[in-house]
Amino acid sequence: MTRASAGGTALAAEPILGLRNVSLHFDDGRTKALDGVDFAVDEGEFVAIAGPSGSGKSSLLNLIGALDVPSAGEIFFRGAAYSGNADLAAFRGRHIGFVFQSFHLIPTLTALENVMLPALGRSWSAAAQRRRAESLLADMGLRDRLHSSPTTLSGGERQRVAIARALINEPSLILADEPTGSLDSANAEQVLEFLVGLRAEKGLTVVMVTHDEGISARADRVIRMRDGRIERAGQPA
Amino acid sequence: MNLVSFALGNLRRRPARTALTLSAIALGIAAVVALTSIAWGFEASWQKANDARGTDLIVTRMASQNAMPSPFAAAPVREQLARYPHVQEVAGLLSEMLSVGEDNPPIFVFGWAYGSYLWEHLKLLDGRWPADRDEPAVLLGTLAAELLHKGVGDRIELEGRSFEVVGTFQSTALVENGAVLMTLDQAQAVTDKPGKVNVLNLKLDGQATEADARFVKEQVRKALPGYAAITSGELVSRNAVVRIAKAMSHVTILIAGLVGALIVFNTMLMSINERTREIGVLQALGWRRTTIMQLVICESLVLALAGGLVGIAVGVLIASGLEQAELMRGKIAAIYSVPFFLSVLGLSVVLGVGGGLYPAHRAARLSPAQALRHE
Ligand SMILES: Nc1ncnc2c1ncn2[C@@H]1O[C@H](COP(=O)(O)OP(=O)(O)OP(=O)(O)O)[C@@H](O)[C@H]1O
Ligand SMILES: [Mg+2]
Repeated sequence: MTRASAGGTALAAEPILGLRNVSLHFDDGRTKALDGVDFAVDEGEFVAIAGPSGSGKSSLLNLIGALDVPSAGEIFFRGAAYSGNADLAAFRGRHIGFVFQSFHLIPTLTALENVMLPALGRSWSAAAQRRRAESLLADMGLRDRLHSSPTTLSGGERQRVAIARALINEPSLILADEPTGSLDSANAEQVLEFLVGLRAEKGLTVVMVTHDEGISARADRVIRMRDGRIERAGQPA
Repeated sequence: MNLVSFALGNLRRRPARTALTLSAIALGIAAVVALTSIAWGFEASWQKANDARGTDLIVTRMASQNAMPSPFAAAPVREQLARYPHVQEVAGLLSEMLSVGEDNPPIFVFGWAYGSYLWEHLKLLDGRWPADRDEPAVLLGTLAAELLHKGVGDRIELEGRSFEVVGTFQSTALVENGAVLMTLDQAQAVTDKPGKVNVLNLKLDGQATEADARFVKEQVRKALPGYAAITSGELVSRNAVVRIAKAMSHVTILIAGLVGALIVFNTMLMSINERTREIGVLQALGWRRTTIMQLVICESLVLALAGGLVGIAVGVLIASGLEQAELMRGKIAAIYSVPFFLSVLGLSVVLGVGGGLYPAHRAARLSPAQALRHE
């Protein structure tokens, strides 16, 4: 919204995501994880968030993903503010796909079941869920590992299962918190390719936190954070 | 995959804890099943004995709450009763729990008025009936014969008197199969209660209606102070032993339910604390709070129902062990019914949901961001 009114042209599409003066405080305001953050992300953008440890990257991603609510400020998804009353779980389920550094797969479930997990408790037909999960895993090059336990998969394979899981509900926004942080460089590269591919092939918007300059260089735009504020936004140098 | 299979997987993750929780619930449920089936079986066995005899009303001392009502002099009461309309027969009965010889468990000894209708429902298997009211003879129920290792032609000792076993019989009522039977006069002599009976059994004629039975009850209340005419069901439910057994089974139900719920509560609270981050993940994946609650409740229910099923099996084993125990054989038959088992499963459901509710609520209330940061 901010950008739309500031940017001016009627043709410019509404950004998928807008943050207006967003803060997130902990410990009664003594810890300012985020301190007046403003920015917007366009549909189909691949944005990297970089910055030192403790600068507020994960906090920012949590707010965008409606895992937490800001202490101050507002967040908009396609122009509509998330409200405290809204069914945030339903919002996450419909629009957001999360990918975490340490995968967070459920060890008792197979790869396929992990991918179907977000759809559990929803009114999808089980057969349709299953077909979709199988095809997503196949897209991730895991056709032969459908029934493997995550504990038997390599880190790269696990993260690909997690990406498939993030995609099962057909979200429009993928939020990845250091998705390559636990992987060796070859696997990191492969996972990054998949994430870049999501944008290219499916037109998804990706917001990814990373420490790695080499990885953030692949993004359309890098947002650098320090002490809960955005340091500089723009094209990577 | 569905919520239930996911819940099952979560329970299998901690097999030892799951097994322990399940066993604790099973033990409680087993105690409930064993005690309750025995308590109600006790009542039913006695009632069945009275019903098998064809007794319509039982006249007893009003205040008596013993398993066998206290004895009273039969003659005056009996004369009075015989005058009421539709009363076809009045048969005195004396009953005592005696030990037969040194090594045998105590056994019921029944004395029935010679020639009365009481004898008619028995099936003579071997030998004969007593020749007259004064013959020192006994008949053994099938189970009593087995327990005492006696048959026709053998002799048994009762209170220092010797009796000849002249026959064996079978009854549809367990307590009678487990009993030694003699004439009322012999029983009065053995127990040193001449002229006395524990109860007078009334058989009404074929034309008697419910209203006629009520009339007799009313007459007894008015004309025989200190006495009451009651049905066999009323007699049994007045029985103090039956009432104590039932009270104990109620207390057991309460304790087993509470302990079971606490155990489920503790286990599920531990389980969700361990899985805090995982619950954060589920929330990030779009699971609603209600779905997370359902998952936790589902796990609690699986624990409780599995514990309940195992408990029912163990409880039935305990009850049949008790039935077969030397001291109890022939006196109690546990009763089970589908509604009984369903109620026990209902109790399991209640303790499962009751114990799981708060942990489920806790899990659902977690802030997803905090849960994901956990550890
Ligand atoms: N729940 C919380 N309670 C208290 N402090 C918190 C909480 N969450 C985050 N913080 C603090 O907020 C600040 C920002 O944390 P955040 O996790 O967003 O950093 P980050 O940039 O993701 O760091 P890293 O690169 O190490 O993951 C840190 O100082 C952190 O200690
Ligand atoms: Mg972080």
